[in-house]
Amino acid sequence: MAETKETSEKDEKPKPRVRPIVRLGIFLISHSFLVSVVCCTAGVLALFLLPVLAKNTYISENALMPGSASPMLSTQHVSDGNKLVKDLTSLDLKSSETGIESQRVIAQYMLELGAEVSFHKFHAQLNQFHPLHFFSSPDSGIIQENFSCSSYGINTVGIIRAPRGDGKEAIVLVTPYNTLKSDLGEAVSVGIAYSVFSLLTQVTWLSKDVIWLVADSRYGEYAAVAAWLRDYQIPKFSSLSTPNSEMCPDINNLYELKINSIAGSKFSNSFRRAGTMAAALVLKVSDQSEQYEDTISIYAEASNGQMPNLDLINVVNYLAVHRQGLRVKVEKLWSLLNSSWLKSLGEVFESLGKVAKSLNPEWKFGIPATEYVEGTATLASSLYYQALGVPTGPHGAFRDYQVDAITLEISPKYSLDKFRRIDILLRGGRLIEGVIRSVNNLLEKFHQSFFLYLLTSPSKFVSVGVYMIAFALLIAPLPMVAASLYVDANSLDSKTNKSTPSTIADTGEGGITIRSWRWLNSAKLVFAVHVWGAIVSLLPYFICQIPDSSPTIRFMIWVVLSLISLLTLYSVLASPFSCNNTSQEKEWALVKSVTISYVFIGLGLMSVINFATAEIGALLMVPMCLLARPLKFDLRAGSLRSFSRMVCNLVLGLIAFPPAAFFLLKGMLEGFGSVNIGDFWMWVESLWAWNSATYIFIGMVYLPCWVLCVHILLHTC
Amino acid sequence: MATFINSKSIFGLLVLPCLLLYSSIANNSSSVEATMHTNNWAVLVCTSRFWFNYRHMANTLSLYRTVKRLGIPDERIILMLADDMACNTRNKYPAQVFNNENHRLNLYGDNVEVDYRGYEVTVENFLRVLTGRHETSVPRSKRLLSDEGSHILLYMTGHGGDEFLKFQDSEELQSHDLADAVKQMKEKLRFKELLIMVDTCQAATLFNQLQSPGVLAIGSSMKGENSYSHHLDSDVGVSVVDRFTYYTLAFFERLNIYDNASLSSLFSSYNPSMLMSTAYYRQDLYQRRLEEVPVTNFFGSVMETIHTDATYKALSKKDSGRFEAQMPLDQSVHHDERRTLINVNDQDEIHNTKAEGQQGASKCPFTTFYDKLQKGENVDSLVNYGLVAMLPFLVVSSWLFQ
Repeated sequence: MAETKETSEKDEKPKPRVRPIVRLGIFLISHSFLVSVVCCTAGVLALFLLPVLAKNTYISENALMPGSASPMLSTQHVSDGNKLVKDLTSLDLKSSETGIESQRVIAQYMLELGAEVSFHKFHAQLNQFHPLHFFSSPDSGIIQENFSCSSYGINTVGIIRAPRGDGKEAIVLVTPYNTLKSDLGEAVSVGIAYSVFSLLTQVTWLSKDVIWLVADSRYGEYAAVAAWLRDYQIPKFSSLSTPNSEMCPDINNLYELKINSIAGSKFSNSFRRAGTMAAALVLKVSDQSEQYEDTISIYAEASNGQMPNLDLINVVNYLAVHRQGLRVKVEKLWSLLNSSWLKSLGEVFESLGKVAKSLNPEWKFGIPATEYVEGTATLASSLYYQALGVPTGPHGAFRDYQVDAITLEISPKYSLDKFRRIDILLRGGRLIEGVIRSVNNLLEKFHQSFFLYLLTSPSKFVSVGVYMIAFALLIAPLPMVAASLYVDANSLDSKTNKSTPSTIADTGEGGITIRSWRWLNSAKLVFAVHVWGAIVSLLPYFICQIPDSSPTIRFMIWVVLSLISLLTLYSVLASPFSCNNTSQEKEWALVKSVTISYVFIGLGLMSVINFATAEIGALLMVPMCLLARPLKFDLRAGSLRSFSRMVCNLVLGLIAFPPAAFFLLKGMLEGFGSVNIGDFWMWVESLWAWNSATYIFIGMVYLPCWVLCVHILLHTC
Repeated sequence: MATFINSKSIFGLLVLPCLLLYSSIANNSSSVEATMHTNNWAVLVCTSRFWFNYRHMANTLSLYRTVKRLGIPDERIILMLADDMACNTRNKYPAQVFNNENHRLNLYGDNVEVDYRGYEVTVENFLRVLTGRHETSVPRSKRLLSDEGSHILLYMTGHGGDEFLKFQDSEELQSHDLADAVKQMKEKLRFKELLIMVDTCQAATLFNQLQSPGVLAIGSSMKGENSYSHHLDSDVGVSVVDRFTYYTLAFFERLNIYDNASLSSLFSSYNPSMLMSTAYYRQDLYQRRLEEVPVTNFFGSVMETIHTDATYKALSKKDSGRFEAQMPLDQSVHHDERRTLINVNDQDEIHNTKAEGQQGASKCPFTTFYDKLQKGENVDSLVNYGLVAMLPFLVVSSWLFQ
């Protein structure tokens, strides 16, 4: 019945009813200017509201039970640890040419506790640009051809087996120790780890094995940990022909030494493993004294903005604050702390919160202005380090294997003299013990709490559900504006077509189809620029091969090569100056439409890979894309509105150029005096060295978008 | 307690001749309700796994220990423990379980018989135990072999919610399931009275669907309330006992097998401010008044002793119809004005005087002996009687062998 009725209605009305969602879409597209202004403002506002919307962290996993057990670490363990610190420092004073001596001492101490000890030799892998290694798992297959005995490091690994455990899981404790040139802080961190280790050999409650890795950080902390992890996770079956470190005399010396000194012990030549890693803690002690009180800094960002499970941070934060009385810090952008505009913004939010509270006492979203400023500074740094995609410490190596890890850096209030050292050893040791006991209680991998979050303080976080809103609002207008531009361009064309008699012949069916497919022209241009972006991203691989060149020169070569390739591609594929046809008057609108679609897709994809990058990218790209308009028109119009738009376009076009943005940011954060052209090259180099997706984003999405916007600005038609 | 019940029966004895005629009719009409309390069973269930639920196992084991101490033998206790905390690698004290941070009492001593352990504790097995529908291969020790005269204590602890109780972190027992199982038990004459005690969050909701008569239910918390743990053992690193169970145990620690405390005194001992939740009990399905029911009726194995005079009737002139006569009599006690008598605190004394006053009339040598025996005041005489009683046997047997 209903169907027949419908059909009869349709018969009566030749124009079918449009579904509400389509009508809504059409409405939004027709008001795209208003929508885009509202959405972008709301998006930026939402971003600044995030510190206000941050929630307090809580332990989500029941099994963790941090702090429920009283610490067992006694002064006896601490004095053992202190003894090791003394031995190590006295070794340092004696000076060691190879650094083998300190490893021997540490191994000796471990063996005396009854732990399984082994040495792990690794070669320092130089950071090199491998274009195909983005997003791929780290592999062990790369054995460097130019191997030499001079570039190896030795990690010392001690393993305690859980007395009644099944040996399927392990907790990793890492202390970086530079065997060549160690400072007191590193020695103390080894001392803390040792005192905890000596306790753990005695306890009956271990359910996971404990691995203590003293990472030889002479080639960097990260490299040592990453090398060990690679060998741990991916067994290496090296053939005899490849050179390996066993051939080096130094290491053989070490082994002989070991075997002679401690016969019948649990020392082993082979690589020792325990179970899968439940969590890893990297422990550092900084030598510089802190201003106010003993603090502990948490570094959590791993490669590509990956974060460890929030529960791990919660556990450390809870134990440090409520059990050991340490102040917990996370990174902040210090320059933001003193900014007055942020402070006034915070005051506005505070007063708004007060007003809301007076209206309804249950609305509690106002936070004090100082807290807001601190929250924003922390949030900005959280966003920045996630966006950079470069791990902030050796813990990043663990995240590549989906192991939750963080770096803890203890900064004592006073320098590490004799008495203070005992206190730091005790408190640091108890903290580590508490975290290990808590993780030991874990039954499964960390999975209860968030993986996608931004911290606004050690005990406050913004979860993915909240921070996505800001991003979604920012990019929401893009498809609408693209659609409206496309519609406008087509309708304008048909109008002009009707007025000019020369093109009347084209107005037939075929003409309309051809015209409606004209966006392909613009798409070709966008594609060409995209390909150019890919070329630009690949260029550094070749530039790296040029021997003996400074970063500045390499940067210059890069710029020149990029320009040449851009011009070549332009002339071959899409010339911007080839608008001799009057029907292409609205060409720029189509280009803009396709560009915006392209940016939308790029940002959407990037938000999945690394949200922070996409967010920061969207902050720059969305206004640039939406405002872009040929300068010629604005010049011709001469009104105040068009003039201001022109200025905005020029400023945005300048700021958004990646090197310009980099230098500007660097200048703002560190002062303009230290800016060097080569810095950008160094920065980019670090991005690809860490396989950061941000590099690809900049090369393949951001830079093409900028070029296309400049193309629109300079459009001559 | 026992004396109280027996004094009742003694009283019954006195009225017996009058009721003797009526007895056979009454017996037929109310055979089910009038079943005697014959034995006690306990089903103790800990439904949650994992180390951080240590306290649930400790709860159950504590209750196990209590009911055992109060006289329910191991073969009548079905103990279900969903996980083994004692052997958990995280346990600082291997093979020991404590319910207090003072570590004075190891609940996991030598004679703990766990009937269902680990992954055997499932909703299916639980319902099978209650309803008695087992596979043929299931040993007797794992079955609830109760009968129509059984008093069953069903204790459950774990994580619960609105009308459900979580089993093993993977399945749930719903209040419907429980009610259905209890109904089946009733139909199959598997219990006379059932006390369900539940220590979970929102425990009261689990009883919503119950409708079988003879069921008494008590839960640690009302709907929307959580049940909290009592304290944390910072040495073991977990909470070791729940509040509701802790105060239940505290109540029972003061009792021994002979104590006379009633269920209402147990139920009123729960202080909401100490529990941090409201203990809720549902008694609309339960006929007896809680003040009259001793806790040992469920938590111990103390029941009315049926003394058949038959053995002694060889001496006396009473006939053997006595036993049947007892039952309707018992029931009558429930309803008539004698309750006032029972409620008096010093009932024993009053009753004794009364009984003694009429005892002369009945002139039953057994009753006096029995009275003495019950009071336990004259153990020596008991032994003497026994020895004397053995003499005729000796004489008869020696005569037979000649």
